[in-house]
Amino acid sequence: MPAKKTIKSKKPRVAIVSLTSCEGCQFILLDLGERFLKFAEEIELVDFRLIEDMEDDNKKLDLVLVEGNPVTEENIKTLKEARKRAKILAALGNCAAMGGVPEMKNYHEGVNAIKHVYKYIQGINNPEIKEIDNFVKVDFVFPGCPINGEEFLKYIPELLIGKIPIIPDQPVCVKCKKAGNRCLLLDKIPCFGPMILGGCGAVCPSARSQCQGCRGLRPTGNVIAMRAALKNMMSDEQFQNMAEIFGLRDDLEEREKNK
Amino acid sequence: MNIKINHIAKMEGHTGFMASVIKGDVKSAKLQVQEGIRLIEGILIGREYKDMPLIAQRICGICPVVHNLTSIKALENAMNVSVSVETEKLRALLEHAQIIHSHALHLFFLSLADFLDMDSDIELIKKYPKEAKKAIKIREYGMEIVKVVGGRVVHPLTNEVGGFKKIPDREALQKLVFNFAEILKITLELGQFFKKIKIPDFSRETEYVCLDKKGEYAIYDGDIISNRGLRIPAEKFETNFSELQKQNEIIKKVEHQGKSYMVGAIARINNNRSKLKENAFEYLNNLGWDFPDYNPFHNILAQMTEVIHAVEASRKIMLELLSSDLNKALTKKIAIKEGMGAAAVEAPRGTLYYHVEVDGRGYVKNVNIITPTAQFLSNLEDDIAAYIPRILKLKDKEKEKKIRAFIRAYDPCISCAVH
Repeated sequence: MPAKKTIKSKKPRVAIVSLTSCEGCQFILLDLGERFLKFAEEIELVDFRLIEDMEDDNKKLDLVLVEGNPVTEENIKTLKEARKRAKILAALGNCAAMGGVPEMKNYHEGVNAIKHVYKYIQGINNPEIKEIDNFVKVDFVFPGCPINGEEFLKYIPELLIGKIPIIPDQPVCVKCKKAGNRCLLLDKIPCFGPMILGGCGAVCPSARSQCQGCRGLRPTGNVIAMRAALKNMMSDEQFQNMAEIFGLRDDLEEREKNK
Repeated sequence: MNIKINHIAKMEGHTGFMASVIKGDVKSAKLQVQEGIRLIEGILIGREYKDMPLIAQRICGICPVVHNLTSIKALENAMNVSVSVETEKLRALLEHAQIIHSHALHLFFLSLADFLDMDSDIELIKKYPKEAKKAIKIREYGMEIVKVVGGRVVHPLTNEVGGFKKIPDREALQKLVFNFAEILKITLELGQFFKKIKIPDFSRETEYVCLDKKGEYAIYDGDIISNRGLRIPAEKFETNFSELQKQNEIIKKVEHQGKSYMVGAIARINNNRSKLKENAFEYLNNLGWDFPDYNPFHNILAQMTEVIHAVEASRKIMLELLSSDLNKALTKKIAIKEGMGAAAVEAPRGTLYYHVEVDGRGYVKNVNIITPTAQFLSNLEDDIAAYIPRILKLKDKEKEKKIRAFIRAYDPCISCAVH
């Protein structure tokens, strides 16, 4: 049946590439269960090594989703090759987009942090942690640690037809209020919600956990007002420590410098 | 002759494999780990204790729950914080639910295709759509429990040193109890499907290590025991087991008295099977194994048995929680104290061990994390070395396939092992 064949070849070619990470963002996709399988049917899934063990054909891609940090030399090579093959490259989650938890080492002992863990350090790749946009052009970011599965399903159709979606510039607070949560700031629990890009469904404050900014600053987030508002709840050192967890600290410093 | 596999998919993390065989003798069989180092232990030093669970759980996206639980338990032991019975029950429930969804994923989506000679889950799901639906439903039940109690499936939120920031909704728990009968039914049906799979016949004696607790199939708590007579409290782990780093290796493998040993579902089933819940016990008995059972491929069916057990055990815990005052699980103000603590919890893949030292201000001074995969990696390599002579006559592609299947049956998590 030639007609069927034409339809098949029109399916967008997608690869999901994993660098060094916990792989939690890939699990968010798998955890969508039947909804993920439906998505997988609509595309030609060229590479998703969590569910298949086949040779990649190395041909052009419509979309590549990148999870994790480029830590090993092999990671950097994989990332650059993925970019060359893809029309659109999107970061999948906080590690790829902002450096994630591993970036914390940059703020303190840097490459020396290795001495706490290993006796023999020769031959181990131990670079400064850099987000993927230091190596390749990134067209879109699925933010969060981990990403939000619902948000993935919301924006993926646009990416599949070659468009770059825009996440609305709203704070985490919008959904938090809607959920009827008592504001953590009223209880003197420091929360980054007001300056952070919403879209997560305010999952952390809904569990009485402070927002620590894993989705990154929103375009018009007022970082100076945020710092001032948190002054009576935490020391500068604590503010900085909290901003380090998800690689927000360098972005904050840059934003403050440019104000 | 060398057997080289560049990359093994369908498991957590990145690894290859290399063996060298000279005149039929296996000279070496090693996993070649390609994971980058994140230095989680190094990062934790100098940070406030509160940051530790949420950073440490990010070691692994499939088993964040057990990293969360074990780091919190170790911190509580270090600062001498005691928690309510309700808190402990909620934590035990989280770990059982974690085992349900992690095992269901591995059983069906990571390992099964190997035994049916397929390369992709898309192919597998097309051929067995009913079974795939069942596996997804079972996973979703486990994930729903984690979500109700922990606030989120990947990287849970509510559990902290001293208790829970937020307690689960009673109605949500009631609904989970209500759904139990249906889930148990499909779990047993999936069990029958797995029972029919042809599993390679191979065995090699080893030491089985896991937790043990009086009167229950130990998951959240217990002493460390083995089938060779070991019995120690969790805090004695580091004095009995040795963590070794060899040059150019980024996984610190663990040995017991100079030898490799095994942890995880197959170890727990061997040591503690008499304490399995009714349906799980019956399922295991009908498999017709002789114990001790030393076939590493049986890990798959041991996991299936544990899914049945964890579904039954979760119901029991939920019923107990529903007849108690859940508010008692809410965190009370704790006193920060200098100290040293250790803890062990059964992760899906075996005993996870944490050791932590905290200073007088509540900052982490020292931390060591020993994961199940780091513990069983030497055992896996010893097993494969013993297995290779049986497959030497096969074509290269077939040999590779068999080794991939062997490694995946172990359910290794390289992200955890490297961290």
